[in-house]
Amino acid sequence: MTLETVALHLAAGQLNTFFPLLQQGVVVPATVGCSLKSLLCDQFAIPAEYVANRITTVFVDNRPVDDLDRTLVQDGSRVTLSGAMPGLVGATMRRGGFYAALRQGISHAADHIEGVGERGCIRVKLFNLLLGELGPLILAHGLIQDQDELTALLRHFPGQYKKTSSDTGRVLLTVSFME
Amino acid sequence: MDKIARIDMGAPGGPKVTVGSLGEYAGLGGRAMTSLVVAAEVHPLAHALGAENKLVISPGMLSGTTGSMTGRLSVGCKSPLTGTIKESNAGGQAAQVLARLGYAAVILEGKPVGDDLYKIVIDKDGIQVIVDNSLKLMDNYPLVARLRQEYGDKVAYMTIGSAGERKLLAASIACTDPELRPTRHCGRGGVGAVMGAKRVKAIIINDAGTKMRPPKDPDAYRDANRKFVEGLRKHPVTGEGLPAYGTNVLTNVLNEAGGYPTNNFKTGQFSGSADLSGETQAALEIARGGSATHGCHRGCVIQCSGIYNDKDGNYVTKQPEYETVWSHGGHCGISNLDTVAKLDYMDDNIGVDTIEMGVTIGVAMEAGLAEFGDDAAAIRLLEEVEKGTPLGRVLGCGAAVTGKVFGVERVPVVKDQALPAYDPRAVQGIGVTYATTTQGADHTAGYAIATNILKVGGDVDPLKTEGQIELSRNLQIATAAIDSTGMCLFIAFAIMDQPETFQALLDMLGSFHGISMTGDDVVALGKKVLSAERDFNTRAGFTKHHDRLPRFFYNEPIAPHNQVFMMKDEELDDVFNW
Repeated sequence: MTLETVALHLAAGQLNTFFPLLQQGVVVPATVGCSLKSLLCDQFAIPAEYVANRITTVFVDNRPVDDLDRTLVQDGSRVTLSGAMPGLVGATMRRGGFYAALRQGISHAADHIEGVGERGCIRVKLFNLLLGELGPLILAHGLIQDQDELTALLRHFPGQYKKTSSDTGRVLLTVSFME
Repeated sequence: MDKIARIDMGAPGGPKVTVGSLGEYAGLGGRAMTSLVVAAEVHPLAHALGAENKLVISPGMLSGTTGSMTGRLSVGCKSPLTGTIKESNAGGQAAQVLARLGYAAVILEGKPVGDDLYKIVIDKDGIQVIVDNSLKLMDNYPLVARLRQEYGDKVAYMTIGSAGERKLLAASIACTDPELRPTRHCGRGGVGAVMGAKRVKAIIINDAGTKMRPPKDPDAYRDANRKFVEGLRKHPVTGEGLPAYGTNVLTNVLNEAGGYPTNNFKTGQFSGSADLSGETQAALEIARGGSATHGCHRGCVIQCSGIYNDKDGNYVTKQPEYETVWSHGGHCGISNLDTVAKLDYMDDNIGVDTIEMGVTIGVAMEAGLAEFGDDAAAIRLLEEVEKGTPLGRVLGCGAAVTGKVFGVERVPVVKDQALPAYDPRAVQGIGVTYATTTQGADHTAGYAIATNILKVGGDVDPLKTEGQIELSRNLQIATAAIDSTGMCLFIAFAIMDQPETFQALLDMLGSFHGISMTGDDVVALGKKVLSAERDFNTRAGFTKHHDRLPRFFYNEPIAPHNQVFMMKDEELDDVFNW
């Protein structure tokens, strides 16, 4: 299925308009059947060092993740990325953290990952400091939106509005920001 | 801090002040001071609102110095809410000011006969206890405004609102922040009711004419403090996350984990969580001309608080913390931050614990007094507390009392104190601390996430099941120690991850007091405090059977993980086995 693409090129100061959307989760196209590490580093082009040091709290389908290499991303997976959290529970949710045992009943179990997967969609959520830091990457990668969502979003950018004629009722929205 | 003031409110002829040396309490501060005094001097079977109880107010071991993050004040007594020993601490200016005046503790004893209401003025010249019945039933904001007219702006105020005077079991003691707003509360356990029972409405602390407490080794102390501050500033939690979003940054994460108790602990996720999140809150505060970054006392470099304005830019309240946003928000099915902010202001003004009050309103909703998600009804219920109506007095006595009065089975309390904002069915290890802490359900009782670096209890393998018991034990030990220093618990993040920051803290303690401190000394202090607290509770009639969560946590699985609390009783009984 080919989606019509709507591209926005916005001023850098308009990034925070997308924060509520990114916080609640956006659907992005991706190659699935791979590891979460591969998704982040290979597909989203997030530097490995950033993944290791800044994305300290990760959930897949509501389960805290410890090992990105052994976490399978499937079609329909919900991937949530967060920076370091305060509080004992913040420390408990930390990826591979010392206090991970305190939430062992809900932790994501290690998956067996066989190889290259196929195209699909995942839902990505960004929290806290990662909204500003990873938001541009995810938005540049592209979000799948239905017409109603897109129309509501484009109200924030009247100068950028383009009428679309997607047969499927969904579009691929990509957003870039001026330096 | 070389003296202790004892104020006998029930002395013949009127309150009597005695200032003495530290004696056996030398070297103590904060929770160590309050708990060891209460354990030694209060009869464990005393009525918490009676003359035999004592209210111990103590700055931390480093309060009143130039050290950063040293402004926590501990208040201890036998709790009227739980019946256990209680230590409740808060930020604000009081600890720094009281410490600079040289008081390691101010202890309110006895109980006056009659209805007179008192204020206590503490300054470099001594302590005065003054009758002032014009303050009767004033709430905290107008009360502080009135006191400022008489005592000015260069003092710290500790006050109780109408809830404390009415001896409601959720009553708090307010401490003013740097802007002299009564926003920092010793909230948990009904300490405000004990102050009210002693008929003390306000304590005015004036440090004019005093200086910072001098370290034994000033150069070493200054150097250690510099390294300590550097450590806090470079850590992503204390240097970035907390200043940007405050503790409410946890809402999204807890909800994502399925551990966000919703509609009185019926489910672990709330559909309105994004509207309540720290990210949303910070953006709103900034857009309305408030602030998402603010310190609760001078010398704070983390700045986890903020200023919450209304849509017209007028001050409503300080930035509500995560536990408050949860208790008045998701716990009650409410997703409107303006409603939560109004309730937070009302709590601070009346003088009640925001966790206890929010949980109580959720229990009242469970009882059918209002619908979950009814913002207006939540405000109306809190107005009942403000007015002191019979219903308000029931609600103001907390979730356990309210549950009993209205026949509610799902009442989230341990030792009659309301659970905070983390569901123990999703995060089982938290449940171990909730069940076993000496204080009643309290998330901060096991909050000092520095056990790995302290090596409390040796090397723990946290991935083993029994590791949860050991971790809870070690967390409680470390927390008891940090609560004694006057340090904000949020320093624990930098301590946990950065050994040099932990060493800087030890060096601050050592160079200030002229001693050599090690991690073992810190652990020993924590164990000493906890042992005294456990002993008091045992003598007060508490047994291992009180160290349990309510049965619904064992019987009702919670979505989305459909788990119940699975820790065995014998495992819980092992927490304090050292």
